[in-house]
Amino acid sequence: MAVMIEARGLGKRFGSRLVLDDLDFQVERGVRLALLGLNGAGKTTLLRCLMGVLSFEGAVQVGGVDVAAEGKSARGLIGYVPQRPPLFSMTLETMVEFFSELRGIASERIADRLEALDLPLSEMGDLALRELSGGMVQKALLAVALAADPPLLLLDEPTANLDPRARGEFMRALRSVGSDTTVLLASHRLDEVEMIADRVWILHEGRQVFDGTLDELRARAHADAWLWVRTEPERRDDARRAFIERAGEAAVVANGTHVAVQLPAAGRAEALSNLQVRGVPIDDFWVVGPSLEEIVQGFFDGEGER
Amino acid sequence: MSRAAVLRTLVRRELGESLRSRWFVAYSGVFLLGALALMLFGLSGSEIYGYRGFAKVMAGLVHLALLFVPLMALFPATAAIAGEREIGSLEYLVSQPISFGELFWGKWLGVSLAVWLSLCLGFGLAGAVAVYAGTPWQLVALLLALTLLLAEAFVAVGLLCSALARSRARATSAGLIAWIIAIGLGTLGLMGLVIRWGLPRFVLSLWAFANPVEAFRLGVIASLDSDGSLLGPVGGGWVATLGTGGLITLCLAGLALWALLPTLLAWWRFRRPQAWSAL
Repeated sequence: MAVMIEARGLGKRFGSRLVLDDLDFQVERGVRLALLGLNGAGKTTLLRCLMGVLSFEGAVQVGGVDVAAEGKSARGLIGYVPQRPPLFSMTLETMVEFFSELRGIASERIADRLEALDLPLSEMGDLALRELSGGMVQKALLAVALAADPPLLLLDEPTANLDPRARGEFMRALRSVGSDTTVLLASHRLDEVEMIADRVWILHEGRQVFDGTLDELRARAHADAWLWVRTEPERRDDARRAFIERAGEAAVVANGTHVAVQLPAAGRAEALSNLQVRGVPIDDFWVVGPSLEEIVQGFFDGEGER
Repeated sequence: MSRAAVLRTLVRRELGESLRSRWFVAYSGVFLLGALALMLFGLSGSEIYGYRGFAKVMAGLVHLALLFVPLMALFPATAAIAGEREIGSLEYLVSQPISFGELFWGKWLGVSLAVWLSLCLGFGLAGAVAVYAGTPWQLVALLLALTLLLAEAFVAVGLLCSALARSRARATSAGLIAWIIAIGLGTLGLMGLVIRWGLPRFVLSLWAFANPVEAFRLGVIASLDSDGSLLGPVGGGWVATLGTGGLITLCLAGLALWALLPTLLAWWRFRRPQAWSAL
């Protein structure tokens, strides 16, 4: 499979702070890669180095183009959506004209993408970008990013500032990306990563500490799912006490008529039968998987125990 | 995409942004109206059409230019980098297939063109009236060149402030402070400092070219007042040494340096890592 990104000894410092530490990696064409990590892990810096907008140590090639020497050419192969929508003082139509000229493509290509993303220029072209919602602006940026059919798409927490509805629309739009497009998605959201990524990296203090699938990460992470139980209000405290005896106070939460305990899969059935033994009625129960933050944190907890 | 095509796109956008700026439009409008009013009322009131009438009107136009031209240049220039950095659009622009050089010089050229267009309109109309009334066109062209260079000097100062400051407000404040210092420390102000601190007199002479406002003022007065009687002690001294032509050339060169050096410093700053980032 053709290599889309190749990095050798990629390093970046901001003053005395080491942000990327001697990274060596290859990403093949068509791979959907999620970049995970705690805040400050180096995800955004990595994406910026790949675009050649930051200087760096080592060598990076995107689509065979040396990023340090030919940043402009490399950026021609990249579509990018940032975390913070840029508030250009222009209308949607002006934006289409400006970026189609800048990327050397016909403006219809961006207009078609906008139409597909439910932002028809005929209806919304006269609106200033500042008048659009954050979700609409992010979708417009996605349209710009996709219009040139770039072989590499870099997404830096593109839905971080969006409400659930706008996030859903954005992710649905992202699913239309061609299978030969390489996608790097920096995200903190499990649903996005599950929807998009077929490979996951964890960056920590500038180093790649995990490379595998999400299932492999789940298996290595010490992060259990939450078992939620709904019971009668007057028996809620009994359920809570039973769960605390089983898993400890830190693994139990309660609100209204609901009580939840964080347990490995093997212990959940036993926890439920224990409630029944104690005469606590179970009106309903369900399991909620750990969040991405819990998985990543669980991964680090697990690594610490090794 | 070719460098020329990218530059053309960036310049057109920057030009449009500047021309849409409220402050820029307001200052340009006032300058245009002021220049026209001075020209029409001044020339008709003097009863002496032609060169001498024009010289009197120009004295008023110089004061108008000293007040408005730097402001016309500063507002779009200070917004060009810091303003875009603040709203996140600079970060997005550098992620596009353009070079940092194309982006910076596109901004410089776009802002400069906006200011030049506005000045050529204001000065051009006033100058056309003056030429029609008998003033030599070469004189009008020289005054226009001095005014454009003054504007360019403040475009350069504004861009430098914009490249250095973390926000648009700070960039604009820094630009305005630079303007106030340049206006406030004219020959008379500096003369006071020279006397107060016992500085050598050549400091005063050099200041004429170290301050773009002073270089512009001397250049304009030397253009209109060939015997140097209105130039004051500094300008008079230079005329005695170099002649009127030499002084005007020196003023043009001083302004050109002011247009060049801060722009190059701004470019140097813009190229540094993360100068484009708001983070």
